[in-house]
This record gives sequence, C-alpha cells and structure tokens, in this order.
Amino acid sequence: MGAVSNVPAVTRRAQARLGILLALPVAIVTAVFFVFPMANALYYSVVDFDGLDPTPPFVGLRNFTEMFTDPATWHALGNNAIWIAIGTAAPMIIGLLVAVLIWSGRGGATYRLLFFLPFMLPGVAIGIVWGWIYDPVNGWINRVLNAIGLDGLSRGWLGDPKTAIFAVLATAIWATCGFVTMIILSALRNVDVELVDAARIDGANAGQRLWHILLPQIMPVFLMVLTLTLVGGFSVFDIIFIMTGGGPADATEVLGTYAYSSAFQLNRISYGTVLALLITVLAVPFTIMLNRLQRRLSLQGLGA
Amino acid sequence: MIDLPVAVSSRSRSEERLEFRRHVVRRSTGLAVRHLVLVLMAALTLFPVVLIISTALKTPQDVRSDPFGLFSSFSFENLRSAWTVGRFSSYLLDSLLLTVPSTIVVIVISTMAGYAFARLPFPGRTAIFYVVVLGLLVPFFTYMIPLYFQLRSMGLLDSLVGANLVLISTNLSFGTFFMRAFFSDLPEELEQAARIDGASESRIFAQVMMPLVSSGAAALAVFTFLSNWNNFLVPLLYLPSGKYRPLTAGLYNFTGGRSMDIGPLAAGTLITIVPVIVIFVVLQRQVTQGFMSGAVKG
Repeated sequence: MGAVSNVPAVTRRAQARLGILLALPVAIVTAVFFVFPMANALYYSVVDFDGLDPTPPFVGLRNFTEMFTDPATWHALGNNAIWIAIGTAAPMIIGLLVAVLIWSGRGGATYRLLFFLPFMLPGVAIGIVWGWIYDPVNGWINRVLNAIGLDGLSRGWLGDPKTAIFAVLATAIWATCGFVTMIILSALRNVDVELVDAARIDGANAGQRLWHILLPQIMPVFLMVLTLTLVGGFSVFDIIFIMTGGGPADATEVLGTYAYSSAFQLNRISYGTVLALLITVLAVPFTIMLNRLQRRLSLQGLGA
Repeated sequence: MIDLPVAVSSRSRSEERLEFRRHVVRRSTGLAVRHLVLVLMAALTLFPVVLIISTALKTPQDVRSDPFGLFSSFSFENLRSAWTVGRFSSYLLDSLLLTVPSTIVVIVISTMAGYAFARLPFPGRTAIFYVVVLGLLVPFFTYMIPLYFQLRSMGLLDSLVGANLVLISTNLSFGTFFMRAFFSDLPEELEQAARIDGASESRIFAQVMMPLVSSGAAALAVFTFLSNWNNFLVPLLYLPSGKYRPLTAGLYNFTGGRSMDIGPLAAGTLITIVPVIVIFVVLQRQVTQGFMSGAVKG
C-alpha cells in the first residue's frame, strides 16, 4: 500500500505533492469543524460560560464536581444504563434470530427489504408515528388491549412516568432490529454450511447449532454490530427528544437530553458541555475494548 | 441444505417410507413456523409505515372521527393542506438545499482524501488520517455546543452555508475511511502501468483509479444523502430562527400543534419519507450491500 521502494524520487515527490493537495480539504474541514470545537469543549469545561460573556471566569473542576453531585446526572445516567442494556440486548437477540430464520428459509430478498426499512426512516417520522401508536385515546396499543379485554392495562404510554422510557425504548428497538438483521445476514453468507449439516446429523438441535456452530463463526461481525448499537446507546438523543423531550417529570431524561436542556434552555453552556464530555468518556472505552476483541477474533478466524 | 434421512439397510421399505414422510412433515412444519414468525415480524415492522400512509391519504373528516383507523377513505386533501398551509413545499426546498450540496461535497472531498490516504505517501499522512478517523469515535454530542458558538462568531449560524458545512464535516470521517478502503483494494499494477505509459500522478488518480471506485462513491452518496436528509439535530441547533427549515425540523415544529392537525402532519411525514422509500426500493441492492460493506470494512 502506498510507498514502493522502486518508485523513482521524482515520482515520490509528485506523489507527495498530490497527496498533500488531495488531503488538504479534509484536513481543513476536520481542523475547523472537529478539532477546534473539541478544544473549545475542553476550555468550556473549566470556565463558567453562559453563552454571552466573552471572557467567562475560570472555575477549575467545579463543573465536574457539580456534575457528580447532581442527582439529575445520576438519574439520567441510570436511564442511559437501562437504555443501553435493553436497547442493545433486544435488537441483538431479535436481529440474530430473524437473520437466522431468513438465512435458513427462503424468500430472503423480500424480508430483507421489509426489515431494513425502519432503519432508514428519519427519527422525527418514527417518533411521530409511534406517538400515534401510543396515543391514550385512539392509539393502536390501547385499541388492541381493549379488544382483547385487557382494558386495565391501557394508558397514555408516553405520559405515564412508569412506562415512558420503555415505550420510547421499544420504538428505538423497532428502528434498530433491521440493521442488526442485515449485517448478521451478510455474515451468515460466509458460514460453512457443511459444519451446520454435520452438527444436524450428529443430533444437535436448532438452538445448539445456533450457539455452537453459527455464532462462533460470525462472532467478529456480531461484536461489530454490538459495538455500534451499544455506543449509540450512550449518545441517544433524537428519539427521546422528539417523543417525550425527557419527560414526563424527567422519567425519560438521558445524558443527551439533559446536556441539551442545560446548554440551550438554561443557558448553562459549560455544564451542558461537561455532561456531553461524560458521554464520550463513557462510550470510548467500550468502543476500544470491543474493537480489540473483534480484531483479535477476526485474526484468529484468518489463522484457522 | 436438504437433509435426507440416513437409510438403514436393516429396515423394511415401508418403515423407511414412513420415516421419510415423518421427516418431510417435520421439515415443512419447521418451514411454515419459520415463515409465520417472519411474516408476523414483517407485519409489525411495516405497520407504522402503513399507518403513516393511511392517515395521510384519508379525508380530513375521517381523520377527525377516527384519527388512526386504517384506510377508511381516500383523498389528497391532507397532502394539499400540508403543501400549502403547512409550508411543506418550502421545507422540502430547504431539505434539498441542505442535503444536495453537502452530499456532493462529501463525495468529492472523501474521494480525494481516500485516495491520498490509501496510495500517496506524504509527510504527516498517518497523523492526519488518525485525527480524521477519531471523528468516528467521538460522538457529535461532545462538540456540538462549542460548535454553536463557533458558527455564531463566524456569522454562519442560521445560514444554509453553515448548516451545510456542519453536515459535511460530520460525514467526512466515515466517507474518507470508506473511500480509502476502496482505493486500498485496487491493484498496484494498474498504477505502475499508467506511470510507465507516462501518465502524471494526478492523471492516474482522475482517469485510472477514480472510475474504478465509482460504485463505492455511489454507495457513499446514498448514505450521505440519507443521513443528511434524516438529520434532526443539525437544523434544530444551527438553524434556530426557522428562516430555513428542512422537513425534519418542519415536522417537529408541526407536532406542537393541536390534534386536529394530524391529517396534514401525517401528510408531511409522508412527504418526508417518500424519498427514503424511493431510494430504498430503487437502489435496494446497492443500499444494503453498501451498508454492509461499509460496516464490515469499518
């Protein structure tokens, strides 16, 4: 890749010139719209910026200590934890099962088309239509519950603090499953079918074949989707902001919505920034850890 | 994967036939159950989309009497009022003005950078590449607040140029990474042959290598378009006054209204998702394969 020893010096100089020229736009945009605001985020975290004062006072680590003693932070973090645990496990399990069902049955293309669609829809459209489904009066969930005689269970799903987070989460799971299905389906194409058949002849049931034969073979890809879903859970914002705005009574507040409302509704820019930094600090180690594991597994796969 | 029962010679033919029939029955019940589960899942997946279409295309009277009942009547009335009273025609224009330029620029810059990082040795290449790819690791959330004040001081807040620039920058890490993977896969010999024929370095890039990654660039164009079309946070933050309002922001703004507005809201939602569905149906293979190769390479 790239430099080859037998390339003459003139060519190498021409390559370096063109390389710099071609990489310049990405370098400039990255510097101005990523590196610079990142540096500013660190600066905002140690001052008390209200959005107006051009020389905000330096406060050291006060924003951080406030964040860790703020019950609202812990409450939001708890909701993030629920979101990450269920919002990762459910799509991974459902996606895996659906992918295996499509893979081992027929008519794959049509199902693939149907299942992937939600993943491509804008969050606002998803939030709006699920708001209708959860509607206390005319919503479909309550209609179905009433129709089967479970009237006692029907409620305003998004308005009830007990159910709001799970209702939004179910929507997010609906939107994510197709993506997981799609990626796992692509990994299943490379699975050694003879191994599966051999296991069947040896009397392994469907569950055993999935667990012992299929899953190990697709593990690197499985871990990759796991990383994407898990890390997405830390910075969840759109769907909650659209469906409940963090309410009712903070019931669905996560770090993302709390950071947003601190910064842009309460004009506590520095505090919002510190909360946003916390999201990254929590998410990055997971990304790195799972990426390492994934790389090690795919290298082992190549060696085997 | 057809698994026939293993024939055992000591058994009589009728026993074998019975065993075979049992096997076929078991197998087809398995298949039926499998399809039943898949069809149920597909119905569950599709239902909200059907609900949008059905609510959007009912008469306003039917929406009022039974807001979310499925397909009780048919009329373009909601679409018409979303288009005119609901200003969805202007939201559509703003969506295009935000999505088309940013997508084109992302493709151009990513292709250039992808080639440079994959095949051209130059000082600082590795360091710059790492910083660009760091953008994949760091959520937009982390720097969106400082970026707001940065745009304000640059005079780019509430401007289409500013919002386009943000959408470009948020897509460049992935785009560069994606295009670099495509350029890395091309054989060295092509480049060498062109060089022996006397082609300049820039000509090798533009006329030999670039045409070979056009499918990758097309896939990237589709995801970038979709991700920008669907983006909610960028217009919410960086186009605050409502002077420019793409469909996503327009829809969100509309949800604040009374429940009487459900018909036009459904119609607006339909207008927003129509391009997504069209792209999906027309480019189904490219989109899904592109997503997969992007994910697997990334």
